[in-house]
Amino acid sequence: MRIAAFLPELLRHLFKKPATVDYPFKKLEVPKGFRGTPFLHPDLCIACRACERDCPAEAIEISVVNETEKKFQMVIHNDRCIHCAQCVDSCPVAPKKAMEMDLLFEIADFDRHDLKHKWEYTRAVLKPKAPAAPKAEPAPKA
Amino acid sequence: MAALRTALYLLVYPGIIFLFVYSTFCEWFDRKIYARLQNRMGPTHTGRWGILQPVADFIKLMAKEDIVPEKADKPLFSLLPVFGLAIVATAALLLPVWNFDPAASTFCSFQGDIIVLLYLLSLPTLIFFLAGWSSTNLFSTIGGTRVLTMLFGYEVPLFMSVLSPALLAGSWRLAEIAEFYQGRPLLLLPNVLGFIIALICVQAKLERTPFDIPHAETEIVGGTFTEYSGKKLAFFRLMTDIELVVSSGLLAAVFLGGFPGGAVLGFVNFVVKTLIVIFLLSLIRALTSRIRVDQVISFAWKYLAPLAVLQLLIDILLKGFVL
Amino acid sequence: MKFQIPIGPQHPALKEPISLRMTVEGEVIRDADLRLGYNHRGVEKLAEEKTWIQNIYLMERICGICSHSHATCFVQGAEKLLEIEPPKRGLYIRILVAELERVHSHLLWLGVAGHEAGFDSFFMYTWRDREVVMDLLEMISGNRVHYAINALGGVRRDLDEGQRNKILDSLDLLRKRTEYYLMIGANEPSFVARLAGVGYLSKESAIDLCAVGPTARASGIAQDVRKDDPYAVYDEIPFEVCTADTCDVLGRTVVRIKELIQSYNIIEFLMKNLPPGEISVRAPRRAKPNEVVSRYEAPRGENIHYIKSNGSDKPERLKVRAPTLANYAATVEMLKKGFIADIPLIFAAIDPCICCAERTVELVDGRTGEERVVRLSDLRKTANERRAPSPLKRIWTWPL
Repeated sequence: MRIAAFLPELLRHLFKKPATVDYPFKKLEVPKGFRGTPFLHPDLCIACRACERDCPAEAIEISVVNETEKKFQMVIHNDRCIHCAQCVDSCPVAPKKAMEMDLLFEIADFDRHDLKHKWEYTRAVLKPKAPAAPKAEPAPKA
Repeated sequence: MAALRTALYLLVYPGIIFLFVYSTFCEWFDRKIYARLQNRMGPTHTGRWGILQPVADFIKLMAKEDIVPEKADKPLFSLLPVFGLAIVATAALLLPVWNFDPAASTFCSFQGDIIVLLYLLSLPTLIFFLAGWSSTNLFSTIGGTRVLTMLFGYEVPLFMSVLSPALLAGSWRLAEIAEFYQGRPLLLLPNVLGFIIALICVQAKLERTPFDIPHAETEIVGGTFTEYSGKKLAFFRLMTDIELVVSSGLLAAVFLGGFPGGAVLGFVNFVVKTLIVIFLLSLIRALTSRIRVDQVISFAWKYLAPLAVLQLLIDILLKGFVL
Repeated sequence: MKFQIPIGPQHPALKEPISLRMTVEGEVIRDADLRLGYNHRGVEKLAEEKTWIQNIYLMERICGICSHSHATCFVQGAEKLLEIEPPKRGLYIRILVAELERVHSHLLWLGVAGHEAGFDSFFMYTWRDREVVMDLLEMISGNRVHYAINALGGVRRDLDEGQRNKILDSLDLLRKRTEYYLMIGANEPSFVARLAGVGYLSKESAIDLCAVGPTARASGIAQDVRKDDPYAVYDEIPFEVCTADTCDVLGRTVVRIKELIQSYNIIEFLMKNLPPGEISVRAPRRAKPNEVVSRYEAPRGENIHYIKSNGSDKPERLKVRAPTLANYAATVEMLKKGFIADIPLIFAAIDPCICCAERTVELVDGRTGEERVVRLSDLRKTANERRAPSPLKRIWTWPL
């Protein structure tokens, strides 16, 4: 049992820089695979609705705008999103997926409805390649 | 003319405005040192280096709503913070830094003023107990009983260790004690044991870790201060800050050799020496964890009181054989 | 003179709402009455409405500190029901995140114990070192809490060479700091005076009251699901079960610090022997009717999930028994002999994760004040009757 066992460490810290980051004046870098907010690449999406089915928070909403011209509208409700990136995993498009996560995390806002993003696009048609043939189906059976 | 000067003394320097400014500066110093010892930043953005943070806290508390519990004793509940502030501000007048005439006795420097200072410093403990009692809240009552239980532990060693250098100097007047040690600085060395004991007891009087049992946040919510809010809480916090300044001033006057050098240099001496004492108090605060009330009593009577008696013996023998 | 102190539901000592009503006499506690239910969220009912993939994320959000333990326990049970076997590399990465979570949870607990005892410097230091672990987890999985690294059939992300080296480098720093905390915890007089002899739970009482985790291991019972019933790859990894003999809060601290050192050894073994290969297999959508019990050693003790499937893509019934629920009975026993000043420490020593344990509902009649316990089937019948007139909207708007 030593009295003041802590003392040398304490005094050493008096001369070290504090471990606190002076946010918001200095920010830390997020690593490469950080899960920020999801967004869509409209030119790649084939409107298979796999992301809408697998989203745990019902945050993706795909609706048909015009059936003959194959125009769809996707709304991502960022206020419901739990940032799990399951939509990115479920997207069957290859080699570049239609859903991607960016690195934004400072998305607080005063109004919940300002956080929703909308895209209107025409459904992409993938050219059928031999190894990619199963992935061109609109509704993959998993 | 004399009335104007007295009014200036009481209100500006060394009165309430100076005490307010200096005690908030001391609280900032304490918080900054405590934070740096723990490798974090402390107050940063209010004023340069966060120096206005305690003032900001005070202003914020004054602006908040003041709630008095229904069953509480209303006159006692409301007047206690004001009494406390008055008591510690009066105690601050007795520090030997602003009486420039050591020969004559004035109303702030007279034979026996060290006893009066110690007495005035024990009264806040009673005020804390009454504050806890008159709140009629369960947690406040427990906090109040803990404050009195701790008083049984640390009061005797504190008195003995502070009065031993006075015994060696042969006077009960703070200004004369300071003058004695300024003349013979080597005689400060036998009092080191008393200095350490007095530091620990002052830490207990100010209710800081390891003795912050009466307002232990994680156990009894707020202790004696649970029901206080708004202006009353602001006055209580200001009272704790001024108590910090007065206690460190007392320790610096008795153990570190007083504040020589007249008006300006003496004031600089005062600031430097009280900041040294506050640095040591913050170090103790960061170093240890809170102990239980029964452990305080056993620690005080098993270790502190015998060491204080030893210090008293050393000073009596030194006075008898050497001087 | 006896009077009742209410600790909670709102109290600075508790991180989550729970009501402990103590009957005290002076400073000694005579009796303790425990009331739960302030944090009930209806997780088990919601799990029946979501598919297997969506349930992984729901299970994660039962708790913030032990999120991976609930997700892994569920995924292990679901993989048994779906009859798939994850590959070795996937299991190694899953256990790596599990051990990193154990490290971060124990460092968090050390800080909380310091804060409850009033030792704030210790609290600041351990949480500063915990940031190293949080940064590692962010690098591996993309988030600091709720790692979501599990997928049905393996894991979702792979480790590359740079990340592996970074983990091995951080282990050196963590090992040095943990030895330092062991020295402080055993030698700082005021801290030891607070922890020693507090919350005594003898070995017989621990077995009688079904204590789990470090609470039981500090009473000398060598019980660990990783050794008794090895899941994933724990039968290949060499490690020891840590116990202590003092049966009090100091023993629990020592057990947790020793477990930290064991976890560092396990992580080093995993990183040095990571097998190459796939990280996951394809999982079917539907499960055949079956039922499974899945056990997992969370940082707080043994975590049990019971899952029942009925052939569709949603589970029929999911029951979660969190470790804190098993430790409540032991807590009441420990509180009966203590002082008021020890209440936060005794309660914090079982590492309470109250939101994990909120699975029971007790209905109190507002008018008469009487209480009755209602069966789940009755609750389900009432809820279905109320919901039947309005169909479940696929896309529903908030009523605000």
